[in-house]
Amino acid sequence: MKTLELTDLQIAFHGHLRNQESSIAQEVIDGGRISVDHRLHIYHNAYRVRLLENLRDAYEKTWTYLGDDTFDASALAFIEANPPRHRNLRWHGAEFPQFLAEQFPQDADIAELALIDWQLRHAFDGPNATPVQPTELAGLSAEDWESVGFRFAPTFFIAPLRYNTVSIWHALDQEQAPPTAEALPEPSWLLIWRKGWQPHFRTIQAVEQAALSQLHGGASFAAVCAALGEQFSDQEAATVAGESLGTWLQDELIVWLTGAH
Amino acid sequence: MNHTSSDLRKKSPGFGLGLRPVHYPDFLREPQAVDWLEIISENYMIPGGKPLAMLDAILERYPVAMHGVSLSIGSTDGLDAQYLTELKALAKYVQPMWISDHLCWTGVQGRNSHDLLPLPYSEEALRLVVRHVDQVQHTLGRRILLENVSSYLDYRSSEMSEWEFLRQVSEQADCLLLLDVNNIYVSSINHGFDAIEFLNHLPVERVQQIHLAGHSDHGDYIVDTHDHPVAEPVWELYRYTCARFGEVAAMIERDDNIPELGELITELNRARAIAAETLEALAEVA
Repeated sequence: MKTLELTDLQIAFHGHLRNQESSIAQEVIDGGRISVDHRLHIYHNAYRVRLLENLRDAYEKTWTYLGDDTFDASALAFIEANPPRHRNLRWHGAEFPQFLAEQFPQDADIAELALIDWQLRHAFDGPNATPVQPTELAGLSAEDWESVGFRFAPTFFIAPLRYNTVSIWHALDQEQAPPTAEALPEPSWLLIWRKGWQPHFRTIQAVEQAALSQLHGGASFAAVCAALGEQFSDQEAATVAGESLGTWLQDELIVWLTGAH
Repeated sequence: MNHTSSDLRKKSPGFGLGLRPVHYPDFLREPQAVDWLEIISENYMIPGGKPLAMLDAILERYPVAMHGVSLSIGSTDGLDAQYLTELKALAKYVQPMWISDHLCWTGVQGRNSHDLLPLPYSEEALRLVVRHVDQVQHTLGRRILLENVSSYLDYRSSEMSEWEFLRQVSEQADCLLLLDVNNIYVSSINHGFDAIEFLNHLPVERVQQIHLAGHSDHGDYIVDTHDHPVAEPVWELYRYTCARFGEVAAMIERDDNIPELGELITELNRARAIAAETLEALAEVA
């Protein structure tokens, strides 16, 4: 019987791993103490186990939250639909939060928790940057303050948050029973970044989200202050802007000053 | 066996371990009885953060070898240019003693299995692998090491033994070999071949490094799991390996159920003792 050429053999083997119809069994020598099916099954099983373990590792809190059975069922369905395309296993699973959002449309907390897991992991080994020190801002002239803007840490990430997912994350982190998932009373966002070697996250509200998004989009700090002035009295706007800036510096969110002379 | 002028190998740096993040604090706290460390290349092919900071600190303290799992030297897709670029950049950063990966394929049609899949030992596969090794060595500007993998099946299209295939690849592509003694043992049980015959056919002057690891015995077959201590038959095979290949850098790989570092160093000391006894006995005979 003729054998397959190497390309076709590899396609058939990979098809077998992925549960597709495959002629690979005809390519394998039948002999020894275990059957061809069993020999192929070792690879079929190892493929899933490795990818499942990687997803459990990347989505640790989501795994704890859902429990083994539900998490594994979702993860295995994801693996079937999304074979790894990158050489580094680190990148497999990026679409899993979206996959969970479609699998559990009534429970958006699950996908939000998965998003936190993924973004924290990628903040952990994301690009480095040196934070701007408060003394650098102290050296700016009045003219500089009219045009200065901020570039944020390369791990900076913002996404809308609809549920009390941050409270759920913290409870799981403390190995306590998570609170019941509830929709948040007001619009909120999740902010993730890395400070030092440690990923951080917190919930932010509309005012801070708007300011961060404007700055991230290239607006100057003066323009952000002017926008705040339209919502608040001058004194309140100055207080909000000053306190926010202090927090961002302390959080090591700002890594570059733009527009200063 | 002495390193002769025809020997392509660098002098052995001694006995090492695979670096795992759980042992970072041990290696950075105080010097450990480990001569060198092997890193998994892909773990550091990342943008930044703590893993690279840990790597910096390790590089100040230990000689390092780079060991990859995703080169996929035998894939009919061809080599991944982006992967090679990243590998070269990491090598420039690490300045490793050497760079290794596996004689296998890991994916096809742009999809990766993240498993070390066996090649048929055919002339077609040999030509493909030799061409790819040549490209990789040209890109990296150095010889690479290829490791024999554990396998659980044989293809009808194979035209030679695994050891003949390894020998042919290393000689035709002019690369070095990383002998995984555990993998030889695992495959010898799964395929029913003689592990000694395997070792006897490999070119001594190309074996730069040895891996030792544990496996899971399922009765009818053995799986290369790296989650147990090195098994007795593998230690015996290592003794023979020392006699045949002489002083070769050896290390223990542990990827699951990772014990305290001290336990791995105790295991590594057994490798040191076996190598010393064997080389001493050889010297006496000589």
